[in-house]
Amino acid sequence: MKVDLNKEFSLPGTGVQAWTFLQDIRGVASCMPGAEITEDLGDGNYKGKVKAKIGPATMAFNGDIIIQNIDAEKRELHMIGKGQDTKGSSSATMDLRAWVEDTEDGKSVLQGVATVTVNGKAASLGGRMMTQVADQMLNQFGKSFANNVASMGEGEEAEMARDKIAEQPAELNGLAFAWSVFVGWFGSLFSSKK
Amino acid sequence: MDTVADKQKREDSLNGVGCSRKRKEDARFIQGKGNYTDDIKMPGMLFADMVRSPYAHARIISINTEKALALPGVHAVLTAADLKPLNLHWMPTLAGDVQAVLADEKVHFQYQEVALVVADDRYIAADAIDLVEVEYEELPVLVDPHKAMTAEAPILREDLVGKMEGAHSTRKHDNHIFNWQAGEKDATDRVFDAAEVTVSQDMVYHRVHPCPLETCGCVASMDKINGKLTVYLTSQAPHVVRTVVSMLSGLPESSVRIVSPDIGGGFGNKVGIYPGYVASIVASIVLGVPVKWVEDRMENISTTAFARDYHMRGELAADSNGIIKALRVNVLADHGAFDSCADPSKFPAGFMHICTGSYDIPVAHLNVDGVYTNKAPGGVSYRCSFRVTEAVYVIERTMDVLAQKLGIDKAEIRRRNFVKKEQFPYTTCLGFELDSGDYHTALEKVLDAVDYKGLRREQEEKRANGELMGIGLVTFTEVVGAGPSKSCDILGVGMFDSAEIRVHPTGSVMARMGTITQGQGHQTTYAQIIASELGITSDEIAIEEGDTDTSPYGLGTYGSRSTPVGGAATAVAARKIKAKAKKIAAHLLEVSEDDLEWEVDRFKVKGVPGQEKTMKDIAWAAYNNVPEGMEPGLEAVDYYDPPNFTFPFGAYLCVVDIDKDTGVTDIRRFYALDDCGTRINPMIIDGQIHGGLTEGYAVAMGQEMPYDEEGNLLGNTLMDYFLPTFVETPKWETDYTVTPSPHHPIGAKGVAESPHVGSIPTFTSAMVDAFAHLDVTHMDMPHNAYRVWKQIKALGLLDN
Repeated sequence: MKVDLNKEFSLPGTGVQAWTFLQDIRGVASCMPGAEITEDLGDGNYKGKVKAKIGPATMAFNGDIIIQNIDAEKRELHMIGKGQDTKGSSSATMDLRAWVEDTEDGKSVLQGVATVTVNGKAASLGGRMMTQVADQMLNQFGKSFANNVASMGEGEEAEMARDKIAEQPAELNGLAFAWSVFVGWFGSLFSSKK
Repeated sequence: MDTVADKQKREDSLNGVGCSRKRKEDARFIQGKGNYTDDIKMPGMLFADMVRSPYAHARIISINTEKALALPGVHAVLTAADLKPLNLHWMPTLAGDVQAVLADEKVHFQYQEVALVVADDRYIAADAIDLVEVEYEELPVLVDPHKAMTAEAPILREDLVGKMEGAHSTRKHDNHIFNWQAGEKDATDRVFDAAEVTVSQDMVYHRVHPCPLETCGCVASMDKINGKLTVYLTSQAPHVVRTVVSMLSGLPESSVRIVSPDIGGGFGNKVGIYPGYVASIVASIVLGVPVKWVEDRMENISTTAFARDYHMRGELAADSNGIIKALRVNVLADHGAFDSCADPSKFPAGFMHICTGSYDIPVAHLNVDGVYTNKAPGGVSYRCSFRVTEAVYVIERTMDVLAQKLGIDKAEIRRRNFVKKEQFPYTTCLGFELDSGDYHTALEKVLDAVDYKGLRREQEEKRANGELMGIGLVTFTEVVGAGPSKSCDILGVGMFDSAEIRVHPTGSVMARMGTITQGQGHQTTYAQIIASELGITSDEIAIEEGDTDTSPYGLGTYGSRSTPVGGAATAVAARKIKAKAKKIAAHLLEVSEDDLEWEVDRFKVKGVPGQEKTMKDIAWAAYNNVPEGMEPGLEAVDYYDPPNFTFPFGAYLCVVDIDKDTGVTDIRRFYALDDCGTRINPMIIDGQIHGGLTEGYAVAMGQEMPYDEEGNLLGNTLMDYFLPTFVETPKWETDYTVTPSPHHPIGAKGVAESPHVGSIPTFTSAMVDAFAHLDVTHMDMPHNAYRVWKQIKALGLLDN
């Protein structure tokens, strides 16, 4: 089951700051709640894991992250994440292109285009919520990414951002996440996109 | 006392053929006292669970069972590597192919069996399957059968590469299974080329699952002391399972006992032999203790025997009056990763060649290609006789399309093309000999009952108001009762069936059959047949089936074959007993057999009132006073090889109202007239028809097994898979005519599947009819609200 996602996050920092952070793979991974890099295999290959609790289901994915390309000129990162859940019943792949663009107000935006493919039980059982789940995961990622970029600056805002990063939950918060998925789904009923 | 009233009273007391005897089975079922496979408990029994593939197509790099084996309570983890030395990692299928028992090097469909974990209880087994580490390398996935034979298609079955001689024909591509044809291609093409009118309609008979309430399962128990293997199994064909298990295991057939206990619905899902059974049997042999394996719902829907997945094109050639000149049917059949269809060996497309329907068609050609895809194997007959549902669907849909093109009413075009009553027995151009029928009477009875003309007038008015109302009509002919052993066999065993009847000294009866009830009510109806034949009340007749140690060999229950074949064997065995009883009666009454006549429950000396012996008298005498030279006892066995199939038929009409804004369909009326020949138990027939119509409604209106491009099955839970309850099910009206089968001992034809076969195209016919004035000729199933709404939207009928 495949889902294509396009995302845009406004960032409170400059394009240079955002691009600096985007190249910090461990930092970027930590923006995804519940995710961490466990091993650097060199040559842009990493091992990592993601743990998510959604409702009664806990899913832990172990996987590989491969940095396909870092294009400094375009300020673009192309990475592929592949994981299999530790129970062997599901797997997921994400092909992500993310790049930074400057905005007129001196700040920046993070643009992302991702294709998420899910196989196994997660597709069979979670298929109908998959777009919303992937969307919400990226939203949380975006907020966290923005905080990280803000924290690179100075002053009160950066201080607050640093606090927020410290408070960030170590894994995907089930109830709040389920709620945001529901809100996202409910909202989609009234959107005219489809 | 020898009055007419007395005779009638004795007749009534038999509870024989034709009476609505209450079901013998219900007392235990409604009290929750049934004994199903999962109710079997044995000392020391272990529980199995299956590790399954998350991928539709992948190479297995490694399987690590260490962590699972280390979990306390886990006894064994079996993989293909463990089965290989026994040569049981692959097994033969009923269709002449082989199927992996546990995935060997590759997985071919999502949820394929990879490893079997055996543990102290079901919960430990479930935990342990999470600990089996399987490393996969994903491969390109083939989901669309239309792409199976292209040059770019990934090759699925590496074990068959280069083996171009298949079980049924030469293979054209590594993903090709078989080509099967019936009829005359050239002659048919010529008629089409010259025809005044031709129509062609593509249609998909989507993939569905029988989804019985009880899933599949078994308890295998190898007794190493006496060398006997007993397997309790949810099987519709226990004797066939015994033969296969004997062949696979090398155990003599006499050392294998298969027991089918109570079965919670089969519908074709329980005909085949599944990897779980084989792996459990091996586990029991290896561990020396009983092993139970029972599927959960997702496993059942995902892996054990889907139905249909026929991609069909129906074409008719006719004259301008709508008289059919030729029929052409092309089918692309998606069989999944292994060809494990359960059809008679010589018929890889089942009885698809019944696609000439109820019509007098001079010439026809049927072409079927079967292909492999990365989906679960199966292709069973979901409440139908071997692809008859597909055949009826294609002809009935195409008839409607022809009627629409010519502007002839769909009842009228059927009237014009029916095989006429006086033409029976009628040999179709594709080779079936229809035994009996009266199609015109059946159709007219339905049209009168519903006031067809009135409905059409109402439809006119509604259309004028922009409302959507549809009238569906189907006049189907089924072929059931497989079958004559000259053409029908399973693994080389002819498709006869059997009955063994023993009359006890006190006149009660124990009878055993080679069939097996799964809700059909055999314990009730077989007793009624014997009661009428022998004059013994059915309440004193016990029926037993399903234990291969005690019942005579039979091919089992599917394809509506119990009454046509097993019921015939029962009647013939009873007649053998009656013939012996007559000799004993003549001996007791000291007259010649010719001087005797039968009346309800006794032999009487013709013209001598009071000189008579009841069957009870004769039964007693059979054990102490038989004619000189006759062996004592009163029992008989019959193995009945039917001379022909039977051909039940019916006329169904359905009225639907469709909400234009939401696509929600209301089945306002469904009128089903069935002719199954002699009616053994009208109440059971009504129950069967209600059940069959409900499953037909399920298939037509909601059931589907959708796969995404990666081969993930997206509808394998009851959240998605439509199983109608009383809430959704419409009201059914039933009716009947009686046209007995001339070759069946009691004239019965079988009925359980007709309502499923007949109703599905009736729903589609009604749905399409609602849009027919807008030039819609066909809509693929399932007709759920979303799909119907999309049709409404595509036609620009939405108000906003």
